[in-house]
Amino acid sequence: MDQQLKIELGKQGVFVTTIEELYNWGRRSSVWPMQFGLACCAIEMIATTMARYDMARFGAEVFRPSPRQADLMIVSGTVTKKMAPQVVRLYNQMAEPRYVIAMGACAISGGPFKQGYNVLKGIDRYIPVDVHIPGCPPRPEALLQAFITLQKKIDGQHLTGEDRPRFLDPNAQGEFSVPDQGEHDLEPTSNTGVWPVPITIR
Amino acid sequence: MLGEGILKGMAETARNFFGSYVSKERLTTVEYPEERVPTAENARVFPFLVYDGAEWEAGMRCVACQICEKECPPKCILIDKSKDKKPDYAGKPQFYPTRFDIDISVCMSCQICVEVCPFEAIKMDTQFELATDDRFAGLLLDRKELAKSNEYYHTIHPTEATEVDSRLAEEKAKVEAKAKAAAEAAAAKAAAAPNPAPPADKPPAGGGD
Repeated sequence: MDQQLKIELGKQGVFVTTIEELYNWGRRSSVWPMQFGLACCAIEMIATTMARYDMARFGAEVFRPSPRQADLMIVSGTVTKKMAPQVVRLYNQMAEPRYVIAMGACAISGGPFKQGYNVLKGIDRYIPVDVHIPGCPPRPEALLQAFITLQKKIDGQHLTGEDRPRFLDPNAQGEFSVPDQGEHDLEPTSNTGVWPVPITIR
Repeated sequence: MLGEGILKGMAETARNFFGSYVSKERLTTVEYPEERVPTAENARVFPFLVYDGAEWEAGMRCVACQICEKECPPKCILIDKSKDKKPDYAGKPQFYPTRFDIDISVCMSCQICVEVCPFEAIKMDTQFELATDDRFAGLLLDRKELAKSNEYYHTIHPTEATEVDSRLAEEKAKVEAKAKAAAEAAAAKAAAAPNPAPPADKPPAGGGD
């Protein structure tokens, strides 16, 4: 739909939209996060939902206590190797369309604990992450900005074609294998298809 | 009494709810993308590199001493030292970083790099809007993205920046006075012993160090 024509029609009192736009508007305006926090970033996440920052302005005030009802997983905090299987399991239990925000240095890469033995070096080894927020911890505004980034991403998705989102593609991977506690590390150490083996550029 | 706390809390809520119709003060929400909470002067997020003057590459204060790289607790800084030297703010030839990367996906904003830097080259930024969907390229800042001017530093941390500026000016004056004294001493020496003509023209040139 031509944007200029749409504005002209709007001036005449005729409002037109496409199904895609309406659908994306609906999806992006009611992204309900899952109520769970892992470490100190969760405190900032809680602050974001409070009156001063008020995440309800973005349609995300309802923190669902069950993964079945949630659309968004905010991985806020350190994901220890003990906790990682549970996080992946919760993600598997969420209904599509679902999104993941990795909040803070620990959730993205392990942060200050990345050289330790007990912390997962980024949740994107097991589940696909849509938005990363750097910071230790990020400010509540940074979470809101990530939320706006996610909404823009949802807005730009097409319902048909090659680049359609995962939930509209019957062949896309829906379930991600839950890692087991191995002898030394989690097994497997990453999920294929999610975590690309990084190519070192020197 | 049971429930007294709840009543008190509800009374406060009601006061704010009805009060917000008459007084703007009672509206606590800061509508983020349009308006912002003013940041405290000591607010910090990630480090940046300070440069003087207009050219970021020429005015970079960093001399690639790699102290911050070694001190960084989560090891998120990567520096490559240059082979050649260029003059710094006091005119002294110094090395410079050919590569200065900070991995902000790892940085924990501890400010240790700022505390150990002897050249006042690395400071803390207040820019927090860095959320991205690009895990690797989006979260690795190179030296061009990190370079911010001294004027920018003055706008975000005015008190601290003024202090740093006066300290640098003092040091520069000291270096210049020393160079001048050395040049004068060399000139006096040359005047006192005019007989060996060839070395007489050399000391003033190298007297700066």
